[in-house]
Amino acid sequence: MTITDTLAKNRGELENKLRNLLAKPVFLIEMDAFALPCGCKGLTINTRGLQFDDLEIFEEHINEYLKKTSENLEVEPSFLFARLVPGTAEVASLNSRVLCNRCYMDFARGTGKQPRPDIYILNFSRRE
Amino acid sequence: MKLYAPHVGHLEALEELLTGSKDIYGIYMAGTPDYVGTGRTNLSSPGLEEIAEQTARAHEEDVKMEVVLNSSCMGGQHLTPEGYNRVNWYFTQLHNIGVDAVTVAEPYFIEMLSKDFDMEVVVSVLSFVDSPQKAEFYEQLGADTIVIDPVINRDFEKLEAIRDSVSCDLKLLVNEGCLYQCPFRYAHFNFFSHANGPGPKLNVLDDYYYYKCLSLRISDPQQLIKSPWIRPEDLKEYRHITDTFKIGGRTHFPNWILNNVQAYANESYDGNLMDLLDCPRDIRDLFYISNKELEGAINQWKQCGKVCNKCGYCKKLAEKIIKVYTAEGCGNILKPLKS
Repeated sequence: MTITDTLAKNRGELENKLRNLLAKPVFLIEMDAFALPCGCKGLTINTRGLQFDDLEIFEEHINEYLKKTSENLEVEPSFLFARLVPGTAEVASLNSRVLCNRCYMDFARGTGKQPRPDIYILNFSRRE
Repeated sequence: MKLYAPHVGHLEALEELLTGSKDIYGIYMAGTPDYVGTGRTNLSSPGLEEIAEQTARAHEEDVKMEVVLNSSCMGGQHLTPEGYNRVNWYFTQLHNIGVDAVTVAEPYFIEMLSKDFDMEVVVSVLSFVDSPQKAEFYEQLGADTIVIDPVINRDFEKLEAIRDSVSCDLKLLVNEGCLYQCPFRYAHFNFFSHANGPGPKLNVLDDYYYYKCLSLRISDPQQLIKSPWIRPEDLKEYRHITDTFKIGGRTHFPNWILNNVQAYANESYDGNLMDLLDCPRDIRDLFYISNKELEGAINQWKQCGKVCNKCGYCKKLAEKIIKVYTAEGCGNILKPLKS
């Protein structure tokens, strides 16, 4: 299976899981694998119809689904987060990111689930 | 029928439109955002030389050229001496080029254009003309054509009252899929006007209104039915109002535009209504709404009091005909809305 086929399959599977969980037609508008110049790499899944409430109520399930999707795409699920439209209920994207050392330090210094108004951390595995 | 088609703004796309259909009466596109800007998203900003070249090319095919400068908010820049001079200079250049019409939303520009320039003055949908009183106001201000606010596309009493109140031309935007009575409408267009207009440029986080608009439809798909689009088959119902129709969608590919032109010129479309709608393009791959199954719905809308919780017609229609694309492996299958 090509990388794009794998992305397509996992986009669909995650969308179906979220729809079944939330009982509404959540739409995963795009799933991307990315590599940034700083060294971070991972997955971005742009969502529409997913709300902040959904994350809070079903965090455990969504975390698990995102972790599984991330593993299927061979991205270590050490840092999972949602990007929010600040000040609103809208979830713009779900993300799985392997942090570079610099970005890891930025996040590791912080505490709490929302180190920035636009980020809601689902899982952050601290390094040894 | 006079059909106006959107155009992204470069010569190659114009060529595709002109050679792709003989049913286009007029083309409209944005100008450069340095002077007035527009209240919608743009993919290009043709300079004066490009506008001149494209106007000449459209005229070779006997097609009208309209430049859309419909910022809904100028932040007061146009009322400063420098701002006035800048805009006046730009209008003069468009006039010298031979542009047929200019679409504006700002009342000041309507008066300015009608007083000093010999170009058709078109009142934009972003002036939100939704009553005979507003229509009369804009006509007296100098409007040659008014593009009626689509929010009343299914309110025939108001449309007829506007028709009776003014003698200027009227134009209807047929495929805007905005939310009916959208609460974001003013804020969203003002935001676009600043994002796509003269500086200072904004460094925004996200288009909150668009995200919200999509989320509302995804969670409540009956909103797709309530949007005041006009099916190609229903144009005949509007002939006593006007014979001039505008297709929205200047950020789409020529192929998409030509598909719309063909549908509205033929007054028939056998496919997904979502293919024709301009606004919610990002959820085109989520919903399937058989256009043919909407046959006859206009009869209900013509006599609808627009009190949705009492009527419930659009909700029932949505549940009956909207289907949702669901992923299966790498492909998609259609499932009913309620399953």
